Amino acid sequence: MAASDAEPMPEVVTEAIVVIDLVESTLTSNLFGWYAVGRQAIRDLRALIGEVGERRGLRCLRSTGDGYLLTFHDPQSAERAALHAVEAVFELLNRVAHRNREVPEERALNLRCAVHLGEVDVVPNDREGPHISMAFRLEGISRASLPAALNPIPPEQFPLQNYVLCSEEVAGILSRRATHWELASIGLLKLKGFPGWREVFRITSEEHPTDLGSGMRAP
Amino acid sequence: MEAPAPLRKSLALVCCDIVGSTRLIARVGDLVASAVFREFIEHADRLGRQHHSVMIKFLGDGFLAAFENMGDVIPFLISIESLSLLPQNSTLIGRLEGFRFSLHYGSVLYIETSYGSDVLGEDVNIAAHLSEIAQPNEVVISQAALERMPADYQTLAGAIEVRPFKRVGDVKFRRVKLIEYHPNRMPAWFRRP
Repeated sequence: MAASDAEPMPEVVTEAIVVIDLVESTLTSNLFGWYAVGRQAIRDLRALIGEVGERRGLRCLRSTGDGYLLTFHDPQSAERAALHAVEAVFELLNRVAHRNREVPEERALNLRCAVHLGEVDVVPNDREGPHISMAFRLEGISRASLPAALNPIPPEQFPLQNYVLCSEEVAGILSRRATHWELASIGLLKLKGFPGWREVFRITSEEHPTDLGSGMRAP
Repeated sequence: MEAPAPLRKSLALVCCDIVGSTRLIARVGDLVASAVFREFIEHADRLGRQHHSVMIKFLGDGFLAAFENMGDVIPFLISIESLSLLPQNSTLIGRLEGFRFSLHYGSVLYIETSYGSDVLGEDVNIAAHLSEIAQPNEVVISQAALERMPADYQTLAGAIEVRPFKRVGDVKFRRVKLIEYHPNRMPAWFRRP
């Protein structure tokens, strides 16, 4: 965890919120055992998140059972926190891809990631508020969500793992402040508990040549 | 069998949202609420076919429908609006608070997908965002749609309003209160078979 955690924090802050879910973690644990495989996988993921987040303003790292909720803070600019969060997520996916080439298949990590930006309530080692719920809603989007979307991409083109989705807020920041990310709308969706239509984007990066779409191992 | 090639079409696009769907789930529970939504979908699908919609796509607590003939749209909306008033629809009565509608006219790509037919394009987004502006039991009609409606219908519309939309710019629209045009109170020209 970042050393800045010890500093007093305001009660409400604007942070970049990242939800990371370990794909099929329950299935893997049931098949190969929590103590043999599952526990190490989630610990490895925590360690990798710590490595990529440490210098990028990672402020909160909380387990969600089969993944993690992270927040990133930048004291100068909330928008920069979003950039740091996206950088960290792609660095994480890169490291995971490298790790997956070194370990047996049952120990491979495959992730679903979502990034949002908004005001959150700061509670010890946790964050609360509707923007947290929004980030979880984004992470929960899957191929099955697309038939109920407007202007959706074909469901077959939606990746199964190792991808990054983001909200309109984050997409706006990336399009203004970064050139090395590519954004593709996956459609307008209704997210449970939130009024109106939300355009959701998939982020890809030219600098990360791993086939993040399919989650296949690089040769 | 290979899917038909996408077609560029100019269509009237209708978005419909059930008012208070989250409140309904909280009030009656998800089991009853899902029965309400299921019955609503069955009726909307039937009414869409009756009124010659070329596509109707259900979106959880609402739908997107497309029509080639603008004259079919308002009678279709009134038939939807009337669903919760008809005694035979016992599951819906007292449970549906109403609907929000939008109507826009534009060019879309009509495609066949793995989940059925769909329409794609920026005009679909405009129709969706117009429905967010609508009040309960109201239809928000874009100027582009209004200009293509039969003259009788155009007289129902309120004052012109403007709202900017991302990637599109300003969109002009007007509002119509459908509740005033329910079957028993609607003008003669609304009473179509």
